[in-house]
Amino acid sequence: MNTLNDPQSFAYDQTAGPILSAAAEPAVSFENLSKTYRMDRIEVPALRGVSGQIERADTTFIKGPSGSGKSTLLNLLGLLDRPTGGQLTILGEDVTRLSDRAAADFRAQHIGFVFQGFNLIPVLSVRENVEFPLLNRKMSAAARKDRAMEYLDAVGLSEFVDRRPGEISGGQRQRVAIARALVSEPSLVIADEPTANLDTKTSREIVDLMDRVRTELNTSVVICTHDTDLITPDSSVIHIIDGQTAKE
Amino acid sequence: MIWKIALRNIIKNARRSITTALAIGIGGLAALLFGGFVTSIWYGVQTSMIQEQGNLQIYRNGYLEFGAANPDAYTIQNWDQVAALLAADAMLAENLSVITPRIDLAGVAGNAETGNSKTFIGTGIVPSEVDQMRGWDGWSIGQTGTVTGLAAGGSDSVIVGLGMARMMGMCEALAVPNCQDAPIVEEDLTGEEQDFSALVEEEGGLGDQGAGASKPQLNVMAATSAGVPNIARVGIEAAQAQSVRAIDNSFVMMHFEQARSLLYGDSQEATALMLQVVDPAMVDAVKTRVVEVLNGAGLDLSVYHLTEVDPTFDRIFGMFSFIFVVVAIVLSIVIVFTIVNTISMTIVERVKEIGTIRALGFRKGFVRALFLTESTLIGVIGAAVALGGAIIVSNMVNAAGLQWTPPSNATPLTVQLMVLDNPIFAAAVVGTLIAIAFAAAVLPTFKAARLNIVESLQRA
Ligand SMILES: Nc1ncnc2c1ncn2[C@@H]1O[C@H](COP(=O)(O)OP(=O)(O)OP(=O)(O)O)[C@@H](O)[C@H]1O
Ligand SMILES: [Mg+2]
Repeated sequence: MNTLNDPQSFAYDQTAGPILSAAAEPAVSFENLSKTYRMDRIEVPALRGVSGQIERADTTFIKGPSGSGKSTLLNLLGLLDRPTGGQLTILGEDVTRLSDRAAADFRAQHIGFVFQGFNLIPVLSVRENVEFPLLNRKMSAAARKDRAMEYLDAVGLSEFVDRRPGEISGGQRQRVAIARALVSEPSLVIADEPTANLDTKTSREIVDLMDRVRTELNTSVVICTHDTDLITPDSSVIHIIDGQTAKE
Repeated sequence: MIWKIALRNIIKNARRSITTALAIGIGGLAALLFGGFVTSIWYGVQTSMIQEQGNLQIYRNGYLEFGAANPDAYTIQNWDQVAALLAADAMLAENLSVITPRIDLAGVAGNAETGNSKTFIGTGIVPSEVDQMRGWDGWSIGQTGTVTGLAAGGSDSVIVGLGMARMMGMCEALAVPNCQDAPIVEEDLTGEEQDFSALVEEEGGLGDQGAGASKPQLNVMAATSAGVPNIARVGIEAAQAQSVRAIDNSFVMMHFEQARSLLYGDSQEATALMLQVVDPAMVDAVKTRVVEVLNGAGLDLSVYHLTEVDPTFDRIFGMFSFIFVVVAIVLSIVIVFTIVNTISMTIVERVKEIGTIRALGFRKGFVRALFLTESTLIGVIGAAVALGGAIIVSNMVNAAGLQWTPPSNATPLTVQLMVLDNPIFAAAVVGTLIAIAFAAAVLPTFKAARLNIVESLQRA
């Protein structure tokens, strides 16, 4: 398991004072999180009290059988959904019960997403897709463009910036999505099955890319995957079975 | 970026966008053209009426309320002095192009030759001044009235309605087109009418006045202010169609002096003074000034706007405005449904995109703005289609020179669809179209913004 040894490297979030001062804390900690879906009268307990931590600047894999609750947990960690019970702290802030608007703002500030289906906006070019999250920031159009180009360069796509998502390969699309997730310089990147739609070789490349930017940007990355071969040896793993954390 | 996304999605769904924009465009086109027609009615009918009656009319107080029962009790006394008083005012002198008297009268008219006779309603006017009024075109719409046709004839000449001419058995004599004389049935004359003919015979000296001898002659009889019947023999200059059939059947227009001496002898009385204002924008100011002048002189007279005297204009305009409102409501409903449908389809197709945008940290308002922008843009395109189409079609229609006869007119007006001539209306239609496009999308976009993020992301 990686330990955090260089708090100075948190240069990317100058606005959030408490986060810097609490640098020794884990990026995310969750306590007894539960989530029950309600479909008409039937209640589906997807998570039954999971606890754990995501360390700063670490890559954490979430593994487990299909239907075990991996996506449910990621959605809670990404503030896309609210837990039925338990407590969630991200970057020292209790985010268990944020309003819709506060959750959106928190995501915009601190969380990046990489999706299984890439989820790029089809009518925007590669560069515009990467610029898109920066619309939430007070930045000039030129600054947005420069920042997007920088990240597209980092994922090796500088040549494809003017193409539409439909005009590049799946692996390239996921690189664009990674650039988009990172361009707002989040503290936490959440990726639910980012390689499920890709072949083995490309999957490896994508995971390696995420691991590399994680080290460069000191971002915590949480990846949920079926494919245990992708799990890098020195990363943390949370194993979920039937809505509960399993002991290794 | 929002604009880019909106515009590119509009282009991406070209067929649907074009259909929606066309629905807006055709609806707007209809509204603009119909509005252009109503605008032309507003100007055209008012111009006709101002040419006929002036913008303002002065009556003795109470005439409009009670004058019909006893017109002679409500005449303007010494009308010539009142006219001179108005003309002497600097403001009025500058703004009034015509001040002219009118007498409304009724009586019995008889064909001197055939013995046909019937009641008539008539008006006595000063032909040269009314001819001047008929040249009025204060809004510069290129609409000029025809002259009365009385100015050329002698002081005893009259104009009658076509129906009047027909009933008096004068179709042939007056060369009235599409008019055949009713068979002359002497036996039909009532005793009273025979008395009237006999009365004319008695008076004898009335006939053959001036150059009128070659024209068909008419004997007109009316009661003087003293209640005594008085008779004049006049020569018919021409027969002219009148707007209302009932009036056409009994219309006689004569020289003011003829009517005045027939009814009032030497007394300078008139039913009304008609005032024509050079610039229609000045009417209210002129009216205020006239009131000041009349009151200053302590006269028992009132001045009325044309539409107060004659409700025809308000009725015509009111009717077309009502039709316009109904049509506009129907069109708006169609447009609203089209837009709701289009935006809802767009939203359904882009649920996953909405989930993604929300996950990326955008608030609900951003999602709403995204789709409202798209809808508004379609509205702008539709409004452009409407305006462009309206300009093209109105120019074509105007060039075709179609004619129509408004209910108030005897003669047809050329159809002029005034689209850009009424810029406030055109701008209002364009603005309304865009506003409808925006407003119709509000509900669907609120639904879109409320979508559950996780469920949206799970969509294929
Ligand atoms: N929106 C929902 N409504 C009802 N039940 C749901 C919903 N989403 C997930 N579930 C249920 O919750 C449980 C956990 O689902 P989840 O998607 O978290 O599993 P997972 O571990 O991500 O599975 P997979 O590996 O197949 O993606 C499952 O039983 C699933 O059927
Ligand atoms: Mg899953």
